[in-house]
Amino acid sequence: MLWKLSFTGLKSRFKDYVVLFSGLTLASAIFYMFMTIALNPAFLKGSLSIAFVITKLVFALGIVLLGIISLVYITYANSFLLSMRKKDYGVYMMLGARNSKIGKLIFSETLIIGFLASVLGIVIGIFVTQIVSQILVSQLGLQIHKYLGFYLPAIFWTLVFFIVLFLLAAIWNRHKLIKTSVLDLINEDQKPVKLHHNKVWKIIEAIMGIALLAVGYWAMADYGDLKTKSLWIGFFTIVIGSYFTFDSFFTSLVILLRSNKKFKSKKLRSFTLGQLQFRLTDYTKLLSVISLLFALALGAITVGLNFNNLVDSSLKSSYYDVMLYNPTKSDANLKHVSVRNKTTIDYKIKIAQDKKTPIVYVNKQSIANSQLKYQHMSQKKNRTSWSTKTITVKSLKNPDSEASYQLLGLLAPFPTAKLKLVSEQTYQALKSKNIKLELLEVNNFRQNFNNIEKLQNASNKRMVADLDKYGMDFSISFNNFKADQYRLVSSVASGFEFMGFFLGIAFLAMLASTLMFKVLSGAASDKIRYKMLWKIGARMSILKASIRHEIAALFVLPASLGVVDVLFGLQFFKSLLEDPYDKIWIPFTIFFALYLLYYLITVKLYQDIVLKKD
Amino acid sequence: MTEILKVSAVTKTYGKKNEKQYQALKGIDFSIESGEFVAIMGASGSGKTTLLNIISTLDKPTTGTVMINGRDISNLNANEMADFRSKEIGFIFQDFNLLENLTNRENISLPLNLCGVSASKIDPLVDKIAKKLGIVDILAKYPAEISGGQKQRIAAARALVHDPAILLADEPTGALDSKAATSLLETMKDLNENDKVSILMVTHDPYSASYVQKILFIKDGKIGKQLVRGQKSREEFYQEIINELGRR
Repeated sequence: MLWKLSFTGLKSRFKDYVVLFSGLTLASAIFYMFMTIALNPAFLKGSLSIAFVITKLVFALGIVLLGIISLVYITYANSFLLSMRKKDYGVYMMLGARNSKIGKLIFSETLIIGFLASVLGIVIGIFVTQIVSQILVSQLGLQIHKYLGFYLPAIFWTLVFFIVLFLLAAIWNRHKLIKTSVLDLINEDQKPVKLHHNKVWKIIEAIMGIALLAVGYWAMADYGDLKTKSLWIGFFTIVIGSYFTFDSFFTSLVILLRSNKKFKSKKLRSFTLGQLQFRLTDYTKLLSVISLLFALALGAITVGLNFNNLVDSSLKSSYYDVMLYNPTKSDANLKHVSVRNKTTIDYKIKIAQDKKTPIVYVNKQSIANSQLKYQHMSQKKNRTSWSTKTITVKSLKNPDSEASYQLLGLLAPFPTAKLKLVSEQTYQALKSKNIKLELLEVNNFRQNFNNIEKLQNASNKRMVADLDKYGMDFSISFNNFKADQYRLVSSVASGFEFMGFFLGIAFLAMLASTLMFKVLSGAASDKIRYKMLWKIGARMSILKASIRHEIAALFVLPASLGVVDVLFGLQFFKSLLEDPYDKIWIPFTIFFALYLLYYLITVKLYQDIVLKKD
Repeated sequence: MTEILKVSAVTKTYGKKNEKQYQALKGIDFSIESGEFVAIMGASGSGKTTLLNIISTLDKPTTGTVMINGRDISNLNANEMADFRSKEIGFIFQDFNLLENLTNRENISLPLNLCGVSASKIDPLVDKIAKKLGIVDILAKYPAEISGGQKQRIAAARALVHDPAILLADEPTGALDSKAATSLLETMKDLNENDKVSILMVTHDPYSASYVQKILFIKDGKIGKQLVRGQKSREEFYQEIINELGRR
């Protein structure tokens, strides 16, 4: 009988359950996706082993973070579930249901919802993973190969993680329901709100909140000097500072606005402010957690997308896109590459009489004609920048000059090689095979990458085969070939990018749903208020506007604090990324579009609940 | 004397045409003169709440017209209805309907905010009505900090602060103890006699009804008998109401 009753209760709040359920499903879907990447050996197969290890490590870190946020999220989602059911269960108890029976009921309900959501989440996760990986590979040119959505160990671990979480939630719910008295359960909504606060303490708290945040931001901005200490200082000061700020500073702002008669006398402003003050008191913990999660999510997306810039900056380190050693006309791959500029240089290699030193002979005139370029690296304040320089005959006079070193690197990768500039006549007279090196600059390296890599590999093979004939040690460094370098950096970067992006979206989805749950769980008790306002002559449009403003404030306050957190937090990445603030508008736009969507959904759901006519 | 409220041939039918219909009001006619204090009495399900909802523009009549202060309100659109309520009607509800997140002063100011009264004029208006209702001392408090009787006075102040054409009271003493109820009724009588406030009160309590000048009995969607107090004392009128109720 109780089961039947319980199911009826579930039906009557179907919409709320849909919101809760979709949130939980999303959480497990995202968790599954991360597990697949971190555990699946098919991921990143074909890329270099270092990159593979790094990426796996990065994803493992992502899972830890995701695990923590899932825990927070499920705690809030669970309290929403509990708040939905408290009254129903209170009524059952009043009707004479036994405590133990009720305990069993809430325990099973929590577990069943959790289990169904996890399973559905995994199914969705498999599909999304498949689709997303394909999109990423084709659209962004990321280097992810044969990434399969279905992976058994990931399914196993996702299930284990979520079942354990829900088991804990179920135990907690049972404990909470059995401990609370029947009357408290039924009258939960009518508990009085604390209206007056100790003003002096509030002022101290507000000042302390802002001061702690300032210390935290300073610690992050000063990362260079404080190193890991700044992480700890930043963590504690910002967490506590955020709490104090929400508990006092924002409330004080609302009180200040409420005391401004001119401001509050317009339309329903005094009502909206009153609601807001009440909410801020009630939401302090939630809003501070949300501002922190918001910062983490936005930070993850910003940093993740910024890793793409790492690829760009790595491409700057070598001037020529392709180097063709003794090019053959038959190379079909060349047809697909759109060449912007081609420079050719001829040279000859002869082993010196000591039989140890390979000497590279280059025609002086051809150096002057070809105007070869190289990228010069300079460092200022820990920042690397690149500038293009031209190799001239004069610059090659000194055998230890950068130009000589760069030219030798291009022509003959022997550690002991020496460069010799000779006249046209001498060059012609040299009895050695003429080697031709074609240096290409191409249009849009990234789009042409696949062909370029094939071209470069074929050329490298020819070069290695020739160099082997001299019987000397040589080493081909990745720095010499843009294609190799691109593959290395982009596989690391795409891993970070992928993770940052999805970690960010996952965090955002969870924090926004948490906020949504909290707002919506208060909607039922607000219904009477809005009805009263409508009766005394407030237009529907004014009521709707009041709801929009109130919820907007609840969304904007943690978001704005989160944005400030991110702007300072990015200082952390200064040592890793060239410019963490580069193109910051892209992640911010993506993020805010999604956040806005959540806001609009919350407003719509809230308006539907509150303004529904009887 | 001018008519402040005129209800002509009002009917209200619930349910769609092809479904089972229920007629809650079956042709109601009556009027209230400016400065009158009138009560509508009836049992549960008699149609008195439906009638009050139509008069207060919360609902529309199926047929018939309602005129308030010379204006036909039966065919206004939703926004016009809201604006009309905010200007011409004052409400007192059984359960006060105060907003517990606002101070009492803010609660009373709400109708003025909705009418777009300028900020500088709001406080004097609130102070004036608060003085009349004896609630000046509790203006800065929140509703949760005052008694039921005081709450209903705050609600009355909110209903009157914007000087509406008519005050509609829906079981105003329903949630009050007898002392607070008497005090509120005395105040309403006083407002009616000295400030010429027109009041329409819906009640099923004969004691509350004994304070008014005219009582309309509503039964099964129709106005039945009318009682007029005339020169009778309140106690005599009360006895007459009891007798009338006993006759049914």
